[in-house]
Amino acid sequence: MEERSKAIQDRIREKARELLLNKTVDLIIGFGEGSFPLRTTPRFIRDPEKTDRLIWNSFCENNLATYLHKFNKFKVGIVVKGCDARSVIALSLEKRFKPDQLFLMGVPCQRMVDRRKVKRAVKGEILRAFEQGDQIVVEGEEFKTILKRDDFFYPSCQVCIHRNPIQADVLVGDPVEESPLIEIHPEIQEFAKKSAEERWKYFEKESSRCIRCYACREACPMCYCAECFVDSSNPKWIEKSLSPSDLEFYHIVRAYHQTGRCTGCGACERACPMEIRLTYLTQKLNRDVKELFNYETGIDTKTLPPLSTYDMEDKQDFIK
Amino acid sequence: MKNPYFPIPMKVKQAYVETVDRMLRTIELSFLNEEDERAFHFTPGQFCELSILGKGEASFGIASSPTENNSLKFTINKAGVVTTALHHIEEGTEVGVRGPLGNGYPIPLFEGKNVLVIGGGFAFTTLRSLITYFLHPQNRSKVNEITVIYGARMPGLLLYKAELLEWEKRSDIKLVVTVDWGDKDWKGKVGLVPNVLEEVAPSSENSYAVICGPPIMIKFTFPKLMALRFPNERIYTSLEKRMKCGIGKCGRCNIGHLYVCKDGPVFSYAELEKLPKDY
Amino acid sequence: MTLKLDKKDLKAFLETLMDEYDLFAPVQLAEGVSIYKKIDRPDDVDLSTSNPQKPAKEVFFPQSETMFRYEKAGKQQQMTSTEGVEKKRVILGARPCDIQAVSILDDVFLGKEYKDVYYGNKRNGTTLIGLACNHPLSTCFCPSAGGGPFLRKGSDIFLIDLGETFIVELLTEKGMTFQKNKFFKEANTKEISLAQEIEEKASKKADASVPIEGIDRRSDLMMESPFWDRMHEKCIGCGVCTFLCPTCHCFDIVDEALTNKGQRVRNWDSCLFPLYSQETSGHNPRPTGRERTRQRLMHKFNYFPKNFGRVACVGCGRCILYCPVNFDIRQAINLTSAKGIRKVKDQVDLTRR
Repeated sequence: MEERSKAIQDRIREKARELLLNKTVDLIIGFGEGSFPLRTTPRFIRDPEKTDRLIWNSFCENNLATYLHKFNKFKVGIVVKGCDARSVIALSLEKRFKPDQLFLMGVPCQRMVDRRKVKRAVKGEILRAFEQGDQIVVEGEEFKTILKRDDFFYPSCQVCIHRNPIQADVLVGDPVEESPLIEIHPEIQEFAKKSAEERWKYFEKESSRCIRCYACREACPMCYCAECFVDSSNPKWIEKSLSPSDLEFYHIVRAYHQTGRCTGCGACERACPMEIRLTYLTQKLNRDVKELFNYETGIDTKTLPPLSTYDMEDKQDFIK
Repeated sequence: MKNPYFPIPMKVKQAYVETVDRMLRTIELSFLNEEDERAFHFTPGQFCELSILGKGEASFGIASSPTENNSLKFTINKAGVVTTALHHIEEGTEVGVRGPLGNGYPIPLFEGKNVLVIGGGFAFTTLRSLITYFLHPQNRSKVNEITVIYGARMPGLLLYKAELLEWEKRSDIKLVVTVDWGDKDWKGKVGLVPNVLEEVAPSSENSYAVICGPPIMIKFTFPKLMALRFPNERIYTSLEKRMKCGIGKCGRCNIGHLYVCKDGPVFSYAELEKLPKDY
Repeated sequence: MTLKLDKKDLKAFLETLMDEYDLFAPVQLAEGVSIYKKIDRPDDVDLSTSNPQKPAKEVFFPQSETMFRYEKAGKQQQMTSTEGVEKKRVILGARPCDIQAVSILDDVFLGKEYKDVYYGNKRNGTTLIGLACNHPLSTCFCPSAGGGPFLRKGSDIFLIDLGETFIVELLTEKGMTFQKNKFFKEANTKEISLAQEIEEKASKKADASVPIEGIDRRSDLMMESPFWDRMHEKCIGCGVCTFLCPTCHCFDIVDEALTNKGQRVRNWDSCLFPLYSQETSGHNPRPTGRERTRQRLMHKFNYFPKNFGRVACVGCGRCILYCPVNFDIRQAINLTSAKGIRKVKDQVDLTRR
């Protein structure tokens, strides 16, 4: 695995350098070395001589498409995984960029590793971590543990069926073999089996940890409203305290606002400092959209999300 | 411990719209409790937080002078939720008030000096307080000449029109009112504040200037004050920023290490020069 | 005399505490996620977790707190303050970083000029039972910020975890009132020397090399530095770092209304939110991430020292650990010193164009 990553990393650097030298783009958004083990960080490169700061490994968890709003005045070269590329397509459909503004460096994704899960698998702080074949080696003061990479994927990565970027100006790695569509995410299946009351209890418990830092919203490329409904003071839709009803309201409305727009990248859940499970909600909605409208976000570059359009043939079973 | 976040109750004694666009309304508040009134001492340039319970709080410069007893006057620009509610409030309704807050104009510095007051648009409120204070018989002798230049976009947008007429009649204050565009009834000056200042050309000798108005007016008036040789230390202004607590705790209104609510809102340009351009 | 408390007695000890005080201690909400909470059952207390996500500041300065309730009838209105506190409080298990941060908040809320009664009423009479930090993380830098994993200052009682038992040090007058507590026994020399050993080891581990010393002066001329053009780029503008910071104390005041009654509430706010400084006119003095990131860092390392004589950072490392994009405050601090710049030049691209 680390050889494949290394090859991708080399190609990212090479391509980034070329794009900057030819002035095809103003800047490159990619991943750089993080400041502690199992962590990478978004990097913004303008100098063609500094593209060797870009890296690639199984810890490139951020969805960089969220930065495209911030840099919407620039020509941007951006490193995208399968899910990130879908976000870019979805944003393009919402006319967030000019057609030639972006250069997508697509990475066929090896699935990203859940660093919190890795941390929990060992006792003591991890001071060094690296990939070796299909393993992750983690070392601390008094331990060295070898873990199987496949056991530590993020929940959203576990069920991903679009790891190859659907749209990219260049692919910087060999395509991976896509997994077949898992009829239903095991987690959602588990969740769906529960009674309505149990489901609500679970949601209540998760949302009760919310501290309203809005990291989920800010990490999400699709959350770009100039004024979020939670921030509007006139009309005021929601109070700003920590009452359960307000927390639940926030998460439900945000999830619904993503219906048919969410690519299931899981950036929201990874950003949450309180580790609130959010993807089972979004995955369920994504599944519903697939079943009801046969639509998957960010796959088709022409068709608008089902909730943004109207069609006489639209399913209306929900109107009772 | 006194609770600095807990408003005192006051009552709307009188309320009236000031301008033809109906965006500026003055409300006069009277104290409900005698001890609140006794404890309330302020300087022109200070402000209060007014509460419309259920809508929230917003800060307003005190437009009345300490010499005008038993009530406080505020002129409110309709902009957000609280100000809109204050535009609709009826006479006799209770309002929560916190204050006085902030530092106010440096009255002792002005003593024995000439005072030049330059105001533009609706920022004239605390300047009215200052002028009224100095025009009071007890205080008039504290300063020498008082020159006031006050501009608005149109005659109908001038504040405190009745008082302007009174001041015009007085010999102990030089008042120049100007508008950007006159109308058929307007007999006064037409012209922008910076140009009028150049024309009036008050001496900077032994003088202090106080200037409040929209940023664009300040931007163009300031160089004219420099040309008249007013030093930065003798030009004062009052800043506006988004505020919540009014007592330097909640953050947000700081410029560098100073809080506009607690260390301001009145600053000299000499002080502002030392602060980051973060406003 | 050094005392000890056996862990098997902890529950009973907490029960006696709870008779007299409102007890606040770390509680696990989910695996690896904990906060300080008011304890209803001693079993909920979890002193084995690492430093809770949300800092102990919440005991005195809750994320959301009612300031007063009101009722309206016609043109009249009635307001009732909720500043009162029922019982004295005990915070159990706060790490030295959080306790140092409390003294910083004391400066803000109880310092010169206006006193904040909501904070003060909760703070006054509170007994702080600190817990030594046996295992500082690589993201911790408390010694650089004037603290340390075993800093006792600020604690009334200080606990050191030896595995089966806690060493108990009574440090203040308030702490001494617990001297006769029946669960505190005399520690033997073996236990005392074990505690010293742990202290030595922990103190060596925490990072003392982050150049905070003198940063207030160094940052004086940095307002317009190209530094800010680049530093903020990866920041997505969420509130993780500020909400989880034990010293951040900005808040918003809002009214929550039903038809004729309601309450005034204060909620934590963050200088990284655009709305924080946006004025009603639409003008925002801090319009982009550049100004907002600058505000966060300058407040901690320049403005706060000007007003209170010390930086508003205790080196707890929460902002580093929980940032969704790995914005590392240590890199920002490093970039203010000539020596530090060399250290991080590779990580932060300062090219201006």
